[in-house]
Amino acid sequence: MTVRVLGISGSPHRRGNTEQLLDSFLAGAEEAGGKVEKAVISTLTYRSCQGCNACHKTGVCVIDDDFIPLLTRKVPEADIVALASPIYSMSITSELKSFIDRAHTIWALKEKLKTVTYSKEHRASHLGYFIGTAGMDRADIFDYAKPVITAFFNGFGFSYPEDQNITAAGMDRYGGIRGHPSALADAFEAGKAAVERLKKTE
Amino acid sequence: MGVKVLAFATSPRRHGNSEDLLDFLLGGMQEEGDVVIEKYALDEIEIRPCRGCNACEKLNRCIIEDDDLHWVLEKIIEADIVVMASPVFCMGLCAQAKALVDRMQVLRSRKYVLRLPVVPPERQGKRLGVFLATAGQDWDYVFDALIPTVKCFFHVMDIKNRDISYLMINNVDHKGELRAHPTAQKDAEELGRTLIRDIRKRLGQEHSGGRE
Repeated sequence: MTVRVLGISGSPHRRGNTEQLLDSFLAGAEEAGGKVEKAVISTLTYRSCQGCNACHKTGVCVIDDDFIPLLTRKVPEADIVALASPIYSMSITSELKSFIDRAHTIWALKEKLKTVTYSKEHRASHLGYFIGTAGMDRADIFDYAKPVITAFFNGFGFSYPEDQNITAAGMDRYGGIRGHPSALADAFEAGKAAVERLKKTE
Repeated sequence: MGVKVLAFATSPRRHGNSEDLLDFLLGGMQEEGDVVIEKYALDEIEIRPCRGCNACEKLNRCIIEDDDLHWVLEKIIEADIVVMASPVFCMGLCAQAKALVDRMQVLRSRKYVLRLPVVPPERQGKRLGVFLATAGQDWDYVFDALIPTVKCFFHVMDIKNRDISYLMINNVDHKGELRAHPTAQKDAEELGRTLIRDIRKRLGQEHSGGRE
């Protein structure tokens, strides 16, 4: 079985700290034999959730844009998904939040229409990761993103425990991700380990 | 001179629960008389996401010039009370509200990087902030993760923690449910009246009275 790995960057910066950290994770995953793909939200055409709740009845989003293939195909078909965002104002960017809000349509399948359930085995074999960077060094800087990321992964039946956060704070102090002593190497190893873990459980 | 209230209904659903809560608050404010309220629905104006370019750290303005942020920023600075109402989507502010918060980066740069005043000295420490939220889930912790973001929003416009009021109602999901809530309307109206009386004292305005 090929382990499919999808990285989604919610940073407005191309190839900035967050995307570099995500790229390291994906490179590690690829080295371990994973089939890797990356989506960059800032390059997509999309709208934010309209809160219409039509999906509660139909299971289908009324908006048809670049988010739809990601939500209905690429995330559900992946074995490992990494959501990446810098911290802006103590949470994820509005770009990544737009994507997560639009996943309400998937949540509706599970919680409203109840046409989808995820087994324990499904959750164990689908891994969610959060990849975050922050300018500041505050100890709690990533804490408020986690419930949002958890909400996303719950909808898709991915497990997202505490050790699946790959974060680098203090980007201002380090002068960027390349100045950080271990973040890029850690992300590479985490990506590699994630794929190896799924290969072992086959 | 009337008290200036600036309110943002950030929900994509017009006249849903969070906007109803906002309207109750604004109704209470209006009862106090001599209040100028401007309300904007983010659904009807365009506030794009922050690009994270940090140009505002040098320019003291945002380089995105073709959306509505510029006049919105001016109104934020002129307002005596700034109100934001948001639904909880996936444990956070809705993306539309988050875009507005993120674009306040220009004020953060002004205040913390360029060390320039955000409001004139005579108004510093006097302005009030209000955050209103509604959530479909009944969890009591459903608002916890978004509070630090709300604080950022107000801090950069020189409104401190002690001057931010919160009214957050969980377990209201379908449109109209807030109106059936046992305390939400009363609490929002009372908060509105209290805040107007408070800001009048702070601004040293004589109470002209709207209800005599």
